[in-house]
Amino acid sequence: MTLTIANLSAGYGRTTVLHDVTVTDIPSGAFVGLIGPNAAGKSTLFKTIAGLITPNKGTLTIEGEDVTHLGRKDRAKRVAYMPQAYGCNALLSVFESVLLALKQTTGWRVNDDNLDRVSDTLHALGLSHLANRGVADLSGGQAQMVAVAQTIVRAPDVILLDEPTSALDLHHQLSILTSIRNEMDRKKPVVMAALHDLNLAAKFCDRLVLLRDGAILADGKPEHILALPQIEETYRVLTDLERTQRNVLYVDARLA
Amino acid sequence: MTLEVDPTAIRHDYVARVSRRYGVIAAVFGLLCLSFLLDITTGPGGYSLSTVSEVLFDPMSHGARLKVIVWDYRLPVAVTAVLVGALLAVAGAQMQTILNNPLAEPFTLGVSAAASFGASLAIVLGFSVIPAVGPLLVTVNAFVFALCTCGFILLATRLKGVGSETMILFGIAIFFTFSALLALMQYMASEDQIARIVFWMMGSLSRASWEKIGLGTILLCFAIPFSLYRTWPMTALRMGEATAQSMGVDVGRLRVEMLICISLLAATAVSFVGTVGFVGLVGPHIARMLVGEDQRYFVPLSALVGALVLSLTSLISKTITPGIIYPIGIITSLIGVPIFISIILSSRRERLQ
Repeated sequence: MTLTIANLSAGYGRTTVLHDVTVTDIPSGAFVGLIGPNAAGKSTLFKTIAGLITPNKGTLTIEGEDVTHLGRKDRAKRVAYMPQAYGCNALLSVFESVLLALKQTTGWRVNDDNLDRVSDTLHALGLSHLANRGVADLSGGQAQMVAVAQTIVRAPDVILLDEPTSALDLHHQLSILTSIRNEMDRKKPVVMAALHDLNLAAKFCDRLVLLRDGAILADGKPEHILALPQIEETYRVLTDLERTQRNVLYVDARLA
Repeated sequence: MTLEVDPTAIRHDYVARVSRRYGVIAAVFGLLCLSFLLDITTGPGGYSLSTVSEVLFDPMSHGARLKVIVWDYRLPVAVTAVLVGALLAVAGAQMQTILNNPLAEPFTLGVSAAASFGASLAIVLGFSVIPAVGPLLVTVNAFVFALCTCGFILLATRLKGVGSETMILFGIAIFFTFSALLALMQYMASEDQIARIVFWMMGSLSRASWEKIGLGTILLCFAIPFSLYRTWPMTALRMGEATAQSMGVDVGRLRVEMLICISLLAATAVSFVGTVGFVGLVGPHIARMLVGEDQRYFVPLSALVGALVLSLTSLISKTITPGIIYPIGIITSLIGVPIFISIILSSRRERLQ
């Protein structure tokens, strides 16, 4: 399952946000971190891949198949996009909210397989104890975990996570990203996540893509990307890249 | 930190919850049947339930007089109450979902104001938007105006993008426009005509007829399956517009489809009985408290609760003062609102059932 983004340009109305974005051959089971400052076009790129924005130019291919103009529903079967978290006041249980995500692309009737998939997903993410809780009663971190469950339950080829760790405490940041890694080991989807925390990105991602002003500045292994002068330029900071005792990359940043 | 729960247990919980919901729906249906039976036995004649039910099964069993009372008067009124209650509640439920606003109902979008103006146009000027409808003049005018209003909102939101705020703002603008036009008609009207306009606006089930019932039933038979067909995208919409969109729901298109469906339901209900507020609000509200917002249960139960509320209203409107039937619009507000408020206060935080 490889994802290729080729010469993609997209935007809202007359404003073009993405300029000629190309990210080639993201292999199945790869965790790609999308980094870059605010308003770099990260969400726009995700929305375009998810089919919520029609690109002006360029192509998207999944496993060699051109999906650039695939309809919403067919697209949703292959690409699952988790937007940045918003609260909701629906009177639905966590179980129901994950079930409804699955049911958007799987027929009308709820069958045993659907119920199995929902309970397995909740179990895999360690959310079983919340299954009967109302979605409106969840804490921010729990709501974000449920949003991840809603994304993963669909077992898509491509998972796009827009700032999955924003507003989470350290435990939940690690727990969300670890759950996603575990899920990747099981089902081998392509995962792209927009991350603001470069250290988290370094720890969890196989590959980093640096986006700025809607264009790609760099694309490669974390240790290469984070050492580039463009990182300092883009974020307007000075950085030192170190390795911790456990051989994890650590970006030490300070104001220029 | 993570409490491990057996995956089969949470599955079991869900299945149990679903069967509880079917139980609730069956119970409300039972209450509706009871209320319906009481409604057709109650009235100035004072006939017993057994007499009335014999007439129901064999119209001529107790003579022509009773046949007329039961079949031509009480039954159409009782059936209309059930039907209009269901139409208004389904319209309210859908509207609350697509606008993400628990206060939305057919009247929020100015549908009833437009219908009232259409009715007043017929009453004061004798003007008909569709020629040669004869005695149905007032009903047809109300229907056409209600439907055109929905069409206008549809068009306007289509042009400007279908945001929920845009739709509510248009509704408010339309409400004020038609209220002003209605005041203008009342200013021009004679005393007798003003009385007729006011009576029309109060809402009454006595305008019931089998033709109207037939039309309403056909609409409901179309609307409920359609709503059930769209149940999963509509439930997703409750998670928020962005989330629904990310799940592959075309939110703009869904809103337009649902608005067309709601328009027909609301216009029909309003043109049949005049302004009956509150049912479109309270039906979905009670249904939500009983079964949550999985639309597979929420929409049918809203219809049943709405039907039950209006059926009880019809019953109460006859029993407060024997011999007098009060306009239902007044009853729903006077008796329904305190009950509604007490329900809200008794469960201030809506809990998931």
